[in-house]
Amino acid sequence: MASSGMLTKFESKSSRAKGIAFHPKRPWILVSLHSSTIQLWDYRMGTLIDRFEEHDGPVRGVDFHKTQPLFVSGGDDYKIKVWSYQTRRCLFTLNGHLDYVRTVFFHHELPWIISSSDDQTIRIWNWQNRSLICTMTGHNHYVMCAQFHPKDDLVVSASLDQSVRVWDISGLRKKHSAPTSMSFEDQVARSNAQQTDMFGNTDAMVKFVLEGHDRGVNWVAFHPTAPHIVSAGDDRLVKLWRFSETKAWEVDTCRGHFQNASGCLFHPHQDLILSCGEDKTIRVWDSQKRTAVQTFKRENDRFWVIAAHPEINLFAAGHDNGVMVFKLERERPASTVHQNSLFFITKEKHVRSYDFQKNQESPTLLSLKRLGSAWVPPRTLSYNPAERSVLVTSPSDGGSYELINLPRDGSGALDTNDSKRGQGNSAIFVARNRFAVLNTASQTVDIKDLSNNTARSFKPPRWDHGYLLWRHRQPQKKSIAELAVNGVKYVVWSNDGLHAALLSKHNVTIVTKTLEQVSTLHETIRIKSATWDDAGVLLYSTLNHIKYTLMNGDNGIVRTLDQTVYLVRVKGRNVYCLDRGAKPKVLLIDPTEYRFKLSLVKRNYEEMLHIIRTSSLVGQSIISYLQKKGYPEIALQFVQDPATRFELAIECGNLDVAVEMCKELDRPALWKRLGDEALAHGNHQVVEMAYQKQKQFDKLSFLYLSTGDHNKLGRMAKIAEHRGDFTARFQNALYLGEVEDRIQMFKEIDQYPLAYVTAKAHGLEEECQSILEVTGITEDQLTLPEFGEPMAQHQPVVPTYKANWPTKATSQSFFEKALAGQLEGMSLEDEPAAANGLDDEFAEDDSAAKKNGAMDVDEDEDVAGWDMGDVEIPEADADFVNVESTDAGGAASSEADMWARNSPLAADHAAAGSFDSAMNLLNRQVGAVNFAPLKPRFLEIYSATKSYLPATAGLPPLVNYIRRTLDETDPRKVLPIIPRDPEYITTNDLQRGYDAMRSNKLEDCLAVFKGVLHCMFLNAVSSESEAAEAKKLITSAGEYVVAMMIELARRQLGSQDEVNANPALLKRSLELSAYFTIPKIHVPHRQYTLFSAMNLANRSKNYSSALSFASRILANGGTGRITDSAKKMKAACERNPHDNVEIEFDQFAEFDICAASHTPIYSGSTYEECSFDGAKYHSKYKGTVCVVCEVCEVGKHGSGLRLFA
Amino acid sequence: MDPFGAEGELINIHNHFHQGQYQEVVDFDTAALSPENALPARVLALRARIALGQADDVIADVQGESEPELAAVGALAQHSLGKTDAAVKTIEELASSSSDNATVQTIGGIVLQAAGKSEEALALLSQHSGNLEAVALITQIHLLQNRTDLALKEVKAARSWAQDSLLVNLAESWVGVRMGGERYQQAFYVFEELAQAPSTSSIVTLVSQSVCELHLGRVEEAQAALEQAVQKDPKYAEAIANLLVLNIVTGKNPSELTASLRSVDPTHPFLADLAEKDALFDKAASKFSAKVSA
Repeated sequence: MASSGMLTKFESKSSRAKGIAFHPKRPWILVSLHSSTIQLWDYRMGTLIDRFEEHDGPVRGVDFHKTQPLFVSGGDDYKIKVWSYQTRRCLFTLNGHLDYVRTVFFHHELPWIISSSDDQTIRIWNWQNRSLICTMTGHNHYVMCAQFHPKDDLVVSASLDQSVRVWDISGLRKKHSAPTSMSFEDQVARSNAQQTDMFGNTDAMVKFVLEGHDRGVNWVAFHPTAPHIVSAGDDRLVKLWRFSETKAWEVDTCRGHFQNASGCLFHPHQDLILSCGEDKTIRVWDSQKRTAVQTFKRENDRFWVIAAHPEINLFAAGHDNGVMVFKLERERPASTVHQNSLFFITKEKHVRSYDFQKNQESPTLLSLKRLGSAWVPPRTLSYNPAERSVLVTSPSDGGSYELINLPRDGSGALDTNDSKRGQGNSAIFVARNRFAVLNTASQTVDIKDLSNNTARSFKPPRWDHGYLLWRHRQPQKKSIAELAVNGVKYVVWSNDGLHAALLSKHNVTIVTKTLEQVSTLHETIRIKSATWDDAGVLLYSTLNHIKYTLMNGDNGIVRTLDQTVYLVRVKGRNVYCLDRGAKPKVLLIDPTEYRFKLSLVKRNYEEMLHIIRTSSLVGQSIISYLQKKGYPEIALQFVQDPATRFELAIECGNLDVAVEMCKELDRPALWKRLGDEALAHGNHQVVEMAYQKQKQFDKLSFLYLSTGDHNKLGRMAKIAEHRGDFTARFQNALYLGEVEDRIQMFKEIDQYPLAYVTAKAHGLEEECQSILEVTGITEDQLTLPEFGEPMAQHQPVVPTYKANWPTKATSQSFFEKALAGQLEGMSLEDEPAAANGLDDEFAEDDSAAKKNGAMDVDEDEDVAGWDMGDVEIPEADADFVNVESTDAGGAASSEADMWARNSPLAADHAAAGSFDSAMNLLNRQVGAVNFAPLKPRFLEIYSATKSYLPATAGLPPLVNYIRRTLDETDPRKVLPIIPRDPEYITTNDLQRGYDAMRSNKLEDCLAVFKGVLHCMFLNAVSSESEAAEAKKLITSAGEYVVAMMIELARRQLGSQDEVNANPALLKRSLELSAYFTIPKIHVPHRQYTLFSAMNLANRSKNYSSALSFASRILANGGTGRITDSAKKMKAACERNPHDNVEIEFDQFAEFDICAASHTPIYSGSTYEECSFDGAKYHSKYKGTVCVVCEVCEVGKHGSGLRLFA
Repeated sequence: MDPFGAEGELINIHNHFHQGQYQEVVDFDTAALSPENALPARVLALRARIALGQADDVIADVQGESEPELAAVGALAQHSLGKTDAAVKTIEELASSSSDNATVQTIGGIVLQAAGKSEEALALLSQHSGNLEAVALITQIHLLQNRTDLALKEVKAARSWAQDSLLVNLAESWVGVRMGGERYQQAFYVFEELAQAPSTSSIVTLVSQSVCELHLGRVEEAQAALEQAVQKDPKYAEAIANLLVLNIVTGKNPSELTASLRSVDPTHPFLADLAEKDALFDKAASKFSAKVSA
């Protein structure tokens, strides 16, 4: 039999491994070695975590504690050691055995350890009080193995005395676990009732002695659930035993090992026995039939021990040169996706399908039980929708495929006559009537037709790329492309067929369909499966994570997994997958992060805006990602922390924000960086501010010099004088070209020679004379160098100080503009609004105050900047401020402009006449696209905002702006009046609508409610609760509109006679009248609809429907004509509750009415909504204009209508 | 002595003019005035006639007169007949020859501002020396430019030397209506006092009062006052325009009033504005469309 099924997951190289233990939760394995070392491995990562070396000589037994961070070991130094793997040291040693310790195991619940030893005893220890509590004697040779029963108070042991013994330790449990609950009488009774063994020990008694092995027994194990025992001995046999309460017997023997059998165990989940032996084999046996299922052979190493993971399908075996961790079979369920269905093969080898939309698993479509070997699961599945047949490959018989038609009757029975089979390692449908089979042995691909005849055959040059690639290669009969990728195991095609992901153990490579490599990534953990998102994001699963990767290789974790799954499809937030039990599962993921990154890569800024607005995408990782990817300006939008904002602002050159943050933080280092950055931008106004903050006088002077700002240079000179800083004074005087000042200064500091030379150089003879007089020296006494022309003071060519130089173009991305431009409606508004404000200040003043330049920053900054140390120069300060505050003419923005700035409400923007931004707001808030119906409302609001105050005769009136914020005078807070607020609508329009409804003028009623809706698009309320009320009003009006439209549609079907004459029309008429009762309009109005529907149904002899309407009328209560006739109707209809005309109206089902088609949308089915009025639509209407409000796009989601600022 | 001051001969005709009682100005008996006041009185009377729509007669009246005052009045009359270019030309000439003449300053300011030359108007007006009408005009121009701050400054400065002059009160009220808050109420008091006293009441002050009420949210009172004004003069555009706005605010159908405003003053800012926004709406709306057309 082939060893193909066994999959090695991990191998270590070491000296002989004698003991193995799996950690119950973590991917760890303990290995005790003949060399006295205990190793702790992470078999998933393949790394050695730790080594424990305190034993003297070989260590033969190890075991993890189930819950505590402990493990136990026993060795040839007769010692049992208990270790903590957290503190990485031996906690204590249990001494007592007089010879080698062979095995040690923890009890599953009690604080006990059982050990077996060559001293012919089995001992039970309490590791909490570190004492020996029981010594079990009876074997008369080495005891090779002793284990607790996983549940009962039993112990089984194996010895070289050729016997297996089962012991009852219930006495020991009673004695040690509940000493207080036992009365004296009990103790007496017990001691009397129980016979003692020859040592007077009553705690553990031999229950059965199992004899059957002809040589020593090396290992013995209980079945996890059934009363079975398996043992392995030097007679090369594996024996299966059964026991009951009273007796035990040998069931069967598994023959096959041709050397000593050293270990054996039951498969934790399947009816299998595993054994290993010195014949270098691991053998798998069917425990029911006692036949060999599988054999694995190692070339050189004898096996010494075998262990099973308690939970997952993993085994480990120790041999002469280390350990191997393996599993018996592939756990990947064979599956294939066709449109909305997943076809897969369960563990029971049943073919089933799973509907992604309905989340439903089908019953078994086909049973493959009889196909191949019982223990070999099929490997792949391919589905042919045209023929409704499947192609299954299985590794049995060296690889075979089978073509089977799915039974039409759904019986699931396998009709073997119907199936075609053949040899091959992999097979897949490539066309409606063709499939391809890969044969690795002959390295050929055969294209076969459905009757299993080979149509043609070719040799692929590189078959190791994975079979799926042929889908593309095959039709052209030539190899399309080649790419050297090692170890590719699976290929996943993207939904559009343009890209494929090649999965190998640790790598994902994304290639185009022509096999050009797009990106590749490496995982340290095994990659299990992958599937493509509709947007072109690859989601892949590793052993413990679902991750994503974009085409450019950016990847990240989507979520962690409790257990390994195989992804089959992603849809929205749902990931569909199969777990290892081949059960379809739906996992919920949060796709925000990768969608955001994807839209960043695709530069789909609108999508990004949407994501920013609708989700709470924050956190360091996204910020650093954006920063790393070169989008600091976008990262800026996510950050609140001033320091980070400053960094980002500097990085993206957004000086406005940087200035703002700098003011907030006010740290010298930051001012310096700001200054440097601003200088690089050429924004000397910010540079000036930064220098002022840092009190860098010389730099300031130079800045003023270079910008030609003489005024301020003069002031710098004054300041230098006040500071008594002569160097600075000299410098400033030099900049200013003030010779006298310099001379004066030299004189002040007694530098007469310099003063003289300066005067002389500038030809100031009088000054020279006076200096000579003061110093009492004559000109003859001096030797002077030749003077050139005195330095001429340069005049600035362009007065650059008046305005900034053309600054470095800070390219505003669309994104920034979108965020900074018209964002009043969104959650980020405070921050861009602030930026806006700054901009505007600059802009206004620039235009307004032509003379003083855009110095408004200075007005307060100067004071703030200077008053720190310069108390003694008040007049300079006053000067400074005065210069800036000149009267300036020019127009400013009107109050209406302020409204648009002050408010995030569309209504206020409309009032301000900023229809563009109002429309943008509505578009973003509720997806409004068709504004034509709103035109009257826009103009109404706009017209209501201005009054005309007659002033001077001959001039047009003064326009003033009518506010709703009457007491407010701060121009940054005023807001316009909005006519027809919700309260007005409720008391006026709504009543008119109700009146029209009552008087059956449905067209009028429809017009009124549509008008109400249009009115509510642009409105404003004064509190959150009013906003909630207003939203209710909108929804209610929407329901009325739907109701009216349904009824009007019914009335348009034709006259009563025409409708009655035409069955189709009659049916539709009845349906519409029934749907008329569905919208959630006020109960009294609903009564009308029900009444009308009831009468119509009655006239058409649809008594059952009429009855249900009558019942609903009565359920709504009330009195009057309607309820009276409902009572009568009910009585009449109950006699004959049948419908004459069958209509699509399920009175018991929950459903909504599609506003466009007037057909039901049953709960559970997908639908789209108008995000303004909540009208529901079938999905096919997505993207159309909502017929209810006539404004919004159906299915376009927005941030929600804002009515309250 | 200031002829327009509290003790002056011209105080009444002056106040009539600025209260909007133009007919009273025209009917004012100027015979008793001292000779030096005859010309200013005549100028006021002529301006009142222009305001009453008799610009043609005024042009004929001032034809051939040499005084810069009368030339300026002629320009104003031309302007009100729509001959703005000619009016501006005349004013610019006058401004260069006799810019210190108070009448030239005020009328020149009006004509220049009306022609859209605010900077020039302000430049001319700023040469005034204690001319309250110039102050009022400057205030109005600042308000038109949305420079409420400068307007307020101007009024405050004027108040310091002309405490209880009618013009200062009016100008201050104009600023108040722009600034809002408590100043609405103060402005209301000023206009109400004028509008409710029979001797000072005019349609102008009545409309001004109702505008204040409109801003104060007292829609019923504003409605009453405006209806009264429209009754008084069914052709007064400002009254119709404000009543129209008020009707929109209170949710009434404005189409009738829109039509009457259009017939009275087709160039009224309200209509011009509306037409502009109408076009703007269509332009803005055309940028949006549904993904799937129905």
